[in-house]
Amino acid sequence: MSTGERETIAAHLQKSGVSRRSFLQLCSKIMIAAPVGLSLTSKRTAAQIAKIVGKARRPSVIWLHFQDCTGCTETLLRTTAPDVAHLILDVISLDYHETLMAASGAQAEAALKSAIEENAGKFVLVIEGAIPTRDDGVFMELGGKPAIQVAKEVSSQAAAVIAIGSCASWGGVPSADPNPTGAMGIDSVISGKPIINLPGCPPNPYNLLAVVLEYVTMGRLPEMDEFKRPKFAYERVIHENCPRRAHFDAGRFATAFGDEGHRNGWCLYKLGCKGPVTHASCSTRHFNEIPGVWPIGCGIPCVGCTEKSVVWRMGTFETVPIHLATPPDTYPPIYSTAGGLKVGAAALVGVIAGGVGSAAWVASQRFQSSTEAGVERVSADIAYAEKLKAKPNGRKED
Amino acid sequence: MSSATTSINRNSERWERAVPVYGFPVVNGFFLALSALVLIALVLTAYRELAGLGPVSGMNDAYGWGIWKTFNVMVMTALGSGAFAVGIAAWVFRRKKLHALMRMALLTSFFAYACGLLLLGIDAGRPWNFYWIVFPWKWNMHSPLAEVAICMSIYAMIPLAIENIPPVLERLWYFDSRLRPGVEKIEKRLHSVFPYVIAAAYLLPGMHQSSLGALMLLAGERVHPLWQTPWLPLLYLGAACFMSFGCVAGTTMLCCLVWKRGMDMEVLDEAAKITAWLIYGWLGLRFLDIIFRGALGTAFHFDRFAGVFWIEVLSISVGAYLLQKSVKTHDKRSMFLGYVLSSAGGMIYRFSPTTLAFRPNPEALYFPATIEILVSLGFISLGVVGFLVAVKRFAILPAPLHEWHDMASYFRFRRPYIRWTGYFKFGYFGEDDPKMTGGD
Amino acid sequence: MAITRRQLITGIAKAGVPAAVAVTVGTKTAEAEVIPVPSAAVGLLYDATICIGCKACVAACAEANNTAPDTRGDALHQAPTDLNDLTRNVIKLYKSEDGSEFSFAKRQCMQCLDPACAAGCPFQALHKDPESGIVSWTADKCIGCRYCTITCPYHIPRFQWQGYNPRVTKCELCSERLEKGLKPGCTSVCPTGAVIFGPRPVLLMEAKRRIQNSPGRYYQNRVYGETDNGGTQALYLSHVPFEKLGLPELGPESVPAKTLRWQRRLYQYFVLPALLYAGLVQVIRKNLHGHEREALEREKETGLRAQL
Repeated sequence: MSTGERETIAAHLQKSGVSRRSFLQLCSKIMIAAPVGLSLTSKRTAAQIAKIVGKARRPSVIWLHFQDCTGCTETLLRTTAPDVAHLILDVISLDYHETLMAASGAQAEAALKSAIEENAGKFVLVIEGAIPTRDDGVFMELGGKPAIQVAKEVSSQAAAVIAIGSCASWGGVPSADPNPTGAMGIDSVISGKPIINLPGCPPNPYNLLAVVLEYVTMGRLPEMDEFKRPKFAYERVIHENCPRRAHFDAGRFATAFGDEGHRNGWCLYKLGCKGPVTHASCSTRHFNEIPGVWPIGCGIPCVGCTEKSVVWRMGTFETVPIHLATPPDTYPPIYSTAGGLKVGAAALVGVIAGGVGSAAWVASQRFQSSTEAGVERVSADIAYAEKLKAKPNGRKED
Repeated sequence: MSSATTSINRNSERWERAVPVYGFPVVNGFFLALSALVLIALVLTAYRELAGLGPVSGMNDAYGWGIWKTFNVMVMTALGSGAFAVGIAAWVFRRKKLHALMRMALLTSFFAYACGLLLLGIDAGRPWNFYWIVFPWKWNMHSPLAEVAICMSIYAMIPLAIENIPPVLERLWYFDSRLRPGVEKIEKRLHSVFPYVIAAAYLLPGMHQSSLGALMLLAGERVHPLWQTPWLPLLYLGAACFMSFGCVAGTTMLCCLVWKRGMDMEVLDEAAKITAWLIYGWLGLRFLDIIFRGALGTAFHFDRFAGVFWIEVLSISVGAYLLQKSVKTHDKRSMFLGYVLSSAGGMIYRFSPTTLAFRPNPEALYFPATIEILVSLGFISLGVVGFLVAVKRFAILPAPLHEWHDMASYFRFRRPYIRWTGYFKFGYFGEDDPKMTGGD
Repeated sequence: MAITRRQLITGIAKAGVPAAVAVTVGTKTAEAEVIPVPSAAVGLLYDATICIGCKACVAACAEANNTAPDTRGDALHQAPTDLNDLTRNVIKLYKSEDGSEFSFAKRQCMQCLDPACAAGCPFQALHKDPESGIVSWTADKCIGCRYCTITCPYHIPRFQWQGYNPRVTKCELCSERLEKGLKPGCTSVCPTGAVIFGPRPVLLMEAKRRIQNSPGRYYQNRVYGETDNGGTQALYLSHVPFEKLGLPELGPESVPAKTLRWQRRLYQYFVLPALLYAGLVQVIRKNLHGHEREALEREKETGLRAQL
């Protein structure tokens, strides 16, 4: 978070000469990046976000590289509009970054030490690259210290740890079989600190920015799934939002690179696209801020770079089983429900049945046995019969 | 009257004559309550005609037939087969004692069929096309439903109506002496065609009551095996027979109880014996059929079908047992209960294959909607109302002979109910007879 | 000696009984419950293994029949959950309990060779065309009794429950389109060719060819509808048991033939009922005489007019 001497983001941007329009554009880009799932962006306009962000103190960010290719840093910098990269760097205060800083050697080590001391307990630690753990971490050393030790030391002082890229999240490329260095993600190495993973090779820079700002303004990390990936970006698989999904659903597949289906932009599933099993946001937020610039958009099947079990584990052209579309339950079942019990009607039937039944019972109880009732009648009938006998040709009509 | 003397010693309540119920007003609380139900039903029927069948009933795509067809037509006309069953016993099998019950049987049948057919018309979705009934070459004679609709309509409109005319004619004869020549001429004509009318009155119900059973044959496996059988038409016919005996004799007993008439145990014993044997035969056929089809095992599952089956069978057998016992012990109570139970069981039997034991689809349910129930109830009430009016206006209910004379003297000394015109003297029997001298 | 009328009628009755029996039994062989196949029977062949559940056929069917789309489910999408008064054709999904097995099922009228719906319809509102074999509904003859909804073993005809002019809805193979030389709506839009239209013999041949080419792919290596229920014009191929798709195993006899056999025989030409009637008239006439005699006696005894 902020220290006494840190200035607010708004003040710093103003000092840097960044126009308010650029800042608002940045905020709206964050909204696009994370429309749901971030308290920062939910139900707020770009102006409101700008206000909230502007009020926050510039967060101190320490960025450590381990077994990486620096691609995650590049993704942060390789934005189409240079001032956006600057914007990002103006919003956060990047106090230590080996690729971007001018210092090296002992100066670099000193810079790290002072950055940690100045912001102890308050800085956000961004980890890029996997951490080798085999043989006591001898495969990588930073300033003579094993990487694993550096990671543990620095993270112990951090407020939160962001693992950017697949390598930092779960091991990435270095961890591919046979994983000779024992490369692992940061959350397998340290514990006791809030960690969030942003896998991807490379990941989307706006996801990083959104996470940092959420932490800075709201004081907490966004909601995460069981792999500590933020749900706003990693909840869905590529297949769910893929622009080519209609082709999949309609059975139009490219079966070979360059064939008619491929040229028509049909679904790449049969070429081994791992979209159905890869959680990422690439299908909605393409690369380098250019729409259509992402693997599938370029006709290249997704390799599943965010998933530990997919990329470098499965064959590039191996088709994945589709678990989701065991078709979604939007299809009617073979036997559909119909009708139902209505309480009022049931009560009415009960009342009627009960009424009729009890009436029948009561009526039955009223019947006397024949001997009782018949007695009085006998005498009357006998008298009547005698009377008739007296008038043989009696009345014809009565 | 020597025969009368000896018969009096044996049977003090011998039913010798049908006598109108007198001394009880037509319009009383019960009548008004029933009339209210009828009015409600009529209003709801108008709503049904405008809104369609969906909003007024619980019928759905899986259960196309609701209680209107399956209860009011299938069950109530079975209860109203008295003209058929009691008639055949009396006229074909010469059970002479049952002639005393004939008018009751005919009247109950008439109202049961009238109300059943009215509801059949209301239940049909497109009733204006019923006119095709007039063109026999348009009938689909393979269809049991065609057979039912056509046969029932012809039966109710012709033989049953004609059979119910004699009490009306009789009343007209007594009503006004000026009408007598005309009445006698009509009566003579009627008597000449009676054999043909009565024979039709036995053939036609035999056909359509069994075809009511054949209706569910086409549903095949969807009717539970405890009910679905090729013998379904015969079983339906048998059920109609014993149910209608129950209805006629039971109603007569109830009427005698309510209106304080004597009950002729000879006739009732005869009816009870016949009913009991009909039931035993029917139960035998039913169980043999179930056993030979190998469906008896399903009767011992713990599901609602087995439950309904056992309720039905136990109801009918206990009813038959009570009937037989009541004949020996001359116990009216158990006789009445026997009729009620056996008829109730028969009603469940006839009702089951179309609703309780009908499983078109494992997920579907049917329960009648409130409007549906009210309409059904209303039309049954209509029948009861009609019955109440008729039994108090015409000579239907059997009674010992002296009852007639009591009735005649009751009317002779009472003022007419309504003094609208001189002609419409809704009154009594024999007021204008100059030969009548006062007293008995 | 002059024969009395009674003797004449009795004699006819006595001779007629064996005649009636002969006629009834004779119809067993004479009627020969063989179901006629229409001369130009057309039908559908649906292969559930190819169907991808895109539901284009559901939309096309509504359009081809000028029916409003059924949006009663969520007021947004044409997503009927079953056949109904607006839906003649629906795609259903069978999924096994553990999700390991699934199949789509296109449900529409099977156009049976001996349709139970037409057998039960009182005034022949449902009628099977003798040439094309299409079972069609005529509004002018229907009384809305809904017996067809009960007799159909596949539960296809659906009644319109709303409104005062209800109709019965079911697939009629787009007969209007057929007249113009087009194909039925569903087969025209199926993207994978899962449902195809053609003359029934041709479709049967195609189905058998597919079975032969891919043994083990299809359930029991048979096509449903060849003899099922006496034969239907809508044929089905599936890799899961047909019952799972909602197609019951009915055997080779059609439902009407199986269930109405005795009904048809007993009422054949109305001979038995007529004979029964004649017999009843005789018996009743005899008993009526006795009854009238007794009534007249009672009339004399009691002095009251006889009640007959």
